[in-house]
Amino acid sequence: MAAIDVHDLRKTFKVQKNRGGLKGAFVDLFKREYNEVTAVKDISFQIPEGEICGYIGENGAGKSTTIKMLTGILVPTSGRLTVGGYVPYEEREKFVRNIGVVFGQRSQLWWDIGVIESFELLRKVYRVEEADYKKRLDELVERLELQELLNRPVRKLSLGQRMRCELVAALLHNPSIVFLDEPTIGLDIVVKSEIRSFLKDMNREHGTTILLTTHDLQDIEALCSRVIMLDDGSIIYDGGLDELKQRWGTGREVVFQFGTATKLNRLELLTEGMPVKWTAENNLGATVWIPLEMNVSDVLGRVVGQADITDIKIIETNTDDIVRSIYQSGSANKAEEANLALPREGAGHV
Amino acid sequence: MFNALSDAGSPQGGQDAGTEGQEFRRTERRLLLEAYFDFIRIRFLTMLAYRLNYYTGILIYSLNIGVNYFTWKAIYGQGESLGGFTAAQMTTYVAVSWMARAFYFNNLDREISTDIRDGSIAIQFIRPYNYVLAKMMQGLGEGMFRFLLFMIPGMALAMLLFPVHLPHDPAAWAGFLVMLFFSFLINSQINIITGLLAFFVENNEGLMRMKRVVVDLFSGLIIPISLFPGWLSSILKLLPFQAITYLPGSVFTGRVQGVGIWNVFGIQIIWFAVLLIPLFWLYRAARQRLFVQGG
Amino acid sequence: MYHLGLLSEYLKNYMKTRLTYRADFWVEVLSDLLFQATNLIFIFVIFMHTNSLAGWSQDEVVFVYGFFMVPWGVFACFVNMWNFSERYIVKGEMDRILTRPAHNLFQIFLENVDPPSLIGSLIGLLIMAVSGLNLGLPFEWWTIPALILLTISAAAIYMGIYTTLTALSFFSDAPTGIIPLMYNIQSYGRYPVTIYNRVIQVLLTWILPFAFVGVYPAGLFLQREEMTRMALLTPVMGAIFVSIGLFVWSRGVRKYKGAGS
Repeated sequence: MAAIDVHDLRKTFKVQKNRGGLKGAFVDLFKREYNEVTAVKDISFQIPEGEICGYIGENGAGKSTTIKMLTGILVPTSGRLTVGGYVPYEEREKFVRNIGVVFGQRSQLWWDIGVIESFELLRKVYRVEEADYKKRLDELVERLELQELLNRPVRKLSLGQRMRCELVAALLHNPSIVFLDEPTIGLDIVVKSEIRSFLKDMNREHGTTILLTTHDLQDIEALCSRVIMLDDGSIIYDGGLDELKQRWGTGREVVFQFGTATKLNRLELLTEGMPVKWTAENNLGATVWIPLEMNVSDVLGRVVGQADITDIKIIETNTDDIVRSIYQSGSANKAEEANLALPREGAGHV
Repeated sequence: MFNALSDAGSPQGGQDAGTEGQEFRRTERRLLLEAYFDFIRIRFLTMLAYRLNYYTGILIYSLNIGVNYFTWKAIYGQGESLGGFTAAQMTTYVAVSWMARAFYFNNLDREISTDIRDGSIAIQFIRPYNYVLAKMMQGLGEGMFRFLLFMIPGMALAMLLFPVHLPHDPAAWAGFLVMLFFSFLINSQINIITGLLAFFVENNEGLMRMKRVVVDLFSGLIIPISLFPGWLSSILKLLPFQAITYLPGSVFTGRVQGVGIWNVFGIQIIWFAVLLIPLFWLYRAARQRLFVQGG
Repeated sequence: MYHLGLLSEYLKNYMKTRLTYRADFWVEVLSDLLFQATNLIFIFVIFMHTNSLAGWSQDEVVFVYGFFMVPWGVFACFVNMWNFSERYIVKGEMDRILTRPAHNLFQIFLENVDPPSLIGSLIGLLIMAVSGLNLGLPFEWWTIPALILLTISAAAIYMGIYTTLTALSFFSDAPTGIIPLMYNIQSYGRYPVTIYNRVIQVLLTWILPFAFVGVYPAGLFLQREEMTRMALLTPVMGAIFVSIGLFVWSRGVRKYKGAGS
């Protein structure tokens, strides 16, 4: 059975229409009009147990609205959904005992008291047995290296420290399905990779199903076997990450810094015959754009040794770039897009 | 530097005199004035947007007048006059005081202390207008909304239901309207002072609640000042609160007439001026705290 | 049992938080007491100008006020939703509440417990005792049980009314709500409602039944025969209004839109 099963899920919000100006405002006082905004438009997907799935799309695409329906916070306008065997909004209190939720931007923890106190309280709220709790806490604390932090009040933690504590708070009751909304937002690279490897291990050891939203393609590359992409409330892609990147990724960029002045036309000469594009700001720096079907190393092989390079930086596309490039691909590709979107119905997951 | 930013419109704006600079400053000043006017307008429109508040507000204000009217009726019993008020004057006083409250009442104290607590005041302080003045304008927008859409229909309703007598003397009307505006100013000053105190005490919630009760009770809204025992009413006459409700109400009910109007108006002006002192002092101290100590 | 356990846990956390901000605690207690004191002043001032308010003496009115303080303190201790709209809806903390396995309204009550309010109840009891002695009221075997039952019922009426009003912020977009306006109205239940006209009496009895948190139940102890029937109705009204509150609340939660995108 799928851990998350969604059929034709829709959410419409009623938004008040404001008439302009003073006169309009007076009219509004007595007679009001509303606009309907559909944030999520009849989406369907299934996520099997033990899968890590990335849920991506631009701001306002409907990601958060979907997550909030899946976690029982919002009641859908229409459609069917079950998560871990429950209809989330119907038996909310029973249902949420099996899930863990982390909203990257909001805290689960009590601001003024020690972290451990929050954990103790959550143990009671989730009715976790003392022994299970001890075992689980020890495990998490050791894995995330929180020993020093347990007695500090949350307001004295750094963002990275706090986020690790948030994870513990969401996982103390050992949920089988975990929702993460922007779990790495604002964190530095070290903490990000720590959190990624932690989530990966948890998925492997406990078979936890994870659905996460993110703007960081590296989160997805490190974690997800599957990506669902949302645009304007509809799913426009559901499948593997590689395929997504191949179809829409614009490519990668490599930024070079040179020790001595290097002319642009010389660089172009070096990569002659390759479908790459060079741009330069000045004689000491240049950027090359490499399409996805090419290996970066082939390009590097031609340039390294031929020029006096002091620094190389490879820039990967992030999900926003991919999404943007899908929009910009214009009407010519719309048909292809539609084709791609169709099979999701039956296949569920590629 | 910060001075120039938060007190835009002050002459510090441009040192390079000359017609061009003057012209520029004039435009700047005009724009700033329009900005302040916009604070009034936007708050007015915002108030209009919340119609649930509007409808229940009218109902609750009418109910307040009704309850107070009947309470006083019961207190009067057969009595002719209490503290210099006849029963008829008291009815008018109660109705007018509550309606005046609709105009001068605002939650500036709460708004300011929320701004302080969540830190957004730092951004507002460096915007090119005066924070306190902007708040005052917002309060005025709110007051004008209630004046036009609460007070006038509410007063009409009260006149239908209760024996309210409006004065015939134009001086009473003029005096009342001008004094009502000063009620608003004084009440807002007190609110702003209470709000700014959130900079200096960790939790001013209790303070705000206390202020609310004190203003309602000691301004003469619930009980006219002259009904308090002698010692208390002579203390209350030394406090600014009576200038909010009691003095304008006395003018409107005709208990104060002729030259007397000028006298009570003088008291209002004095309080307005006196309250500017702690207001300025607090504002400066708050800014200093924000910019020098970093909040 | 589970819920009682949670209550004690949250109270413990409350104490821990409070110990960090000790000065606040006393400011709050003091301001609460002053608030009550100003209301008493009103009563005393009125009775300087008259001997009876529609047949009620000063001691009787003060006794009603004393009773009024008791359920109010209990209610204010366990139910604090004054900033609900701002904190839980605008800032979106409702999301967190809804992803936890305890009843959402109960969680909100727990997160805002305010034990200092109970001091007001104690003072109310004291006022009742003093004015009761002045009046020579009898102390019967049923006085204490009745007091407890009526206090719980009156607190339930408050809870029902304020839960209903707070739940309106799920339906309406008003940020402040209309709750502050209620403060005045609830205090009208402290005076003998017979002084008002029919419309207001009906309103304070059946629609916003604040007479049931003050004058009616207190009438039982004051041996006011005309109020005995109403006093005995208090538990029924409590049950009805709590049910209404819970119903409107659960409808509201289904309408919750979440904060931001």
